[in-house]
Amino acid sequence: MRDLKHIHFYEELLEEANNSLVRKAKDEGNVAVGYTCYYIPEVLLNVDRAFSVRLRAPRTGSLDISQYYMSSFICGYSRALFERAFEGGYNFLDYWCASETCQQMNRVVENVDELKLIKNDKFAHGIIDAPLKVSEHGVKHYVTQITHEFLEPLQERFGIDISDTAIRAAVKEHNEMCAIFEEISVLRKESNPRITPREMHILSLVSYACPTAKILPYLKETLEDLRTREADEKNKWRARLVVVGSELDDYAFSEIMEACRAYVVTDRYCFGTIPGRQQIPLTDTEPALEQVCRFYLDTNMCPRFMSQDKVMQRHEELLRYAKEFKADGIVYEQAKFCDFWGYEKLIGTAYLKDKSDIPVMSVDREYVISGSGQLMTRVQAFVESISLKKRQKERGVR
Amino acid sequence: MAKYYGGCDVGSTYGKCVILNEEGKIAGHATVRSKINPVETANLALAEAIAMVEDLDKPEDLTYLVGTGYGRNKVPFADENISEISCHAMGVHVTDPTITGIIDIGGQDVKGIAVDADGTVKNFAMNDKCAAGTGKFFEGMARAFEMPLDEFCRLSLTAKNVIPITAQCAVFAESEVISLVGEGKPREEIAAGLQVSIAKRCFVMAKKAGTDGKITLTGGCAKNEGLKKAIEQVLRIKVAELPIDPQLMGALGAAEYARQMSM
Repeated sequence: MRDLKHIHFYEELLEEANNSLVRKAKDEGNVAVGYTCYYIPEVLLNVDRAFSVRLRAPRTGSLDISQYYMSSFICGYSRALFERAFEGGYNFLDYWCASETCQQMNRVVENVDELKLIKNDKFAHGIIDAPLKVSEHGVKHYVTQITHEFLEPLQERFGIDISDTAIRAAVKEHNEMCAIFEEISVLRKESNPRITPREMHILSLVSYACPTAKILPYLKETLEDLRTREADEKNKWRARLVVVGSELDDYAFSEIMEACRAYVVTDRYCFGTIPGRQQIPLTDTEPALEQVCRFYLDTNMCPRFMSQDKVMQRHEELLRYAKEFKADGIVYEQAKFCDFWGYEKLIGTAYLKDKSDIPVMSVDREYVISGSGQLMTRVQAFVESISLKKRQKERGVR
Repeated sequence: MAKYYGGCDVGSTYGKCVILNEEGKIAGHATVRSKINPVETANLALAEAIAMVEDLDKPEDLTYLVGTGYGRNKVPFADENISEISCHAMGVHVTDPTITGIIDIGGQDVKGIAVDADGTVKNFAMNDKCAAGTGKFFEGMARAFEMPLDEFCRLSLTAKNVIPITAQCAVFAESEVISLVGEGKPREEIAAGLQVSIAKRCFVMAKKAGTDGKITLTGGCAKNEGLKKAIEQVLRIKVAELPIDPQLMGALGAAEYARQMSM
């Protein structure tokens, strides 16, 4: 296939958190707001002159410093963020929105604050206490927390307009971006898809790592390009997989999938295309803030939720994706030492094996994936267990 | 002209090659010590196996060639590469179809593999976190005992007792062994402790993969008599013997896939 429009530019953008579009937005006097978790509604950080940047730590090397301040049993993502903050990689940030959903990430924010690692006089952070259940009381608490910890500080410190009108404008722009992803997601259902797993992963990552207003024009052009793009004549894919799991910042994971000729039909990482890139419906009968918060709680698939309805929602949704996207298998990927996904993959694997005959594999991985031969062997063996079985069946071997 | 099918298993410690004829019988095979360059390892193994088959002169004469092992995508002239997990399953299946579980102990990892009735992989588990329980571990221990590897592998067979080894890490286990030797503990009992500690690791892999029924050992370490005995004790089963060199199972499975693919 010919190169996807802007793909090389996107790769460049993913080389550092303070990428060229972030710098451009800052130069224009906008306010950079970092965040790390789906519990923090990205769209609310894009009101008025504020713009969201999901924090990443590309090209992470040694994590010795973060290990000293925290522990070696903290997930690689948390340690990588701390290390990057220590190296000065987040000095562009004006505000850091955090959530106590993950204690490991809490330690990062507290250490960053304690050590005054962000060299920006205006810098501050807020931490919300996110609800553990989805209920009207939970939504109310969530709204209060987000208002006090994120929105009001942005208004008071930086003069950001957090009115209902400003939130509705942010949702409109957010929905414009989500509409692009919804259309691209449909293309992944094709039997010989015109977009590769690697490309999709890159598109998804840039949409989180760049200011929405700045990346949107590029994404529109990419979608336009995709509409007329044709897949290679020979369908190289051996198996279609759904991938779910922890935060996955390194698209080398998708490259490994591709190398094993596995097509990722859809993904549900902490961030990814489901949930995260679905339009938020708003009515005029209720303040936008409440509606956005309810939407994020309803669609949140974090394994931190332990109420039975949420546990079942996570498993049932997975089976639904597998059916909708005609998947041959499901892969759970867990960042090492991610507590929540550690048990979710065990429970989920048992549930799926019990309730369906779809093959399931779980893998754990480091924050930076490149060069992992063992991961490649695991994925390839899983893909082969599906594709070779199909072939043996065709040959009549039993 | 007769057709031949090749499987080349480029492992971290040894390179193996098996050539099958049209009936699926072994026409040639080779096992060579791995070089740092996997291409060189593959070339050596292929050349040695091809030399055993009168009708063949070079790898290009093979009708179909499948690469496997960690260097599977570096095998020159290979038509395809298949993971060693799938290949070990198929290799064992064509050797003895009644076997449904494999513990593969290679140079740098340990795998448990459950084999389906058609020779494909039903499930697998893999230990790749460290060198514990791998060929590299045993090589290190043999060095610590200052004896050849094959002699070390038999050492535990004469032990009357087992001295438990607590360290799983290859580096720390070596330190522990040196301390125990320094304390004057019987060497065969220390060796037995090492074999049991690795057998327990194999037990975990076999259970994680969901193996049941008849189980066999493959990979270079399958020839370790002391380990085999320890695994039989820990798993409380008799490990099934293979009529073909267990170290060749990956290459044999690759060759069988090559044969199937061109039929």
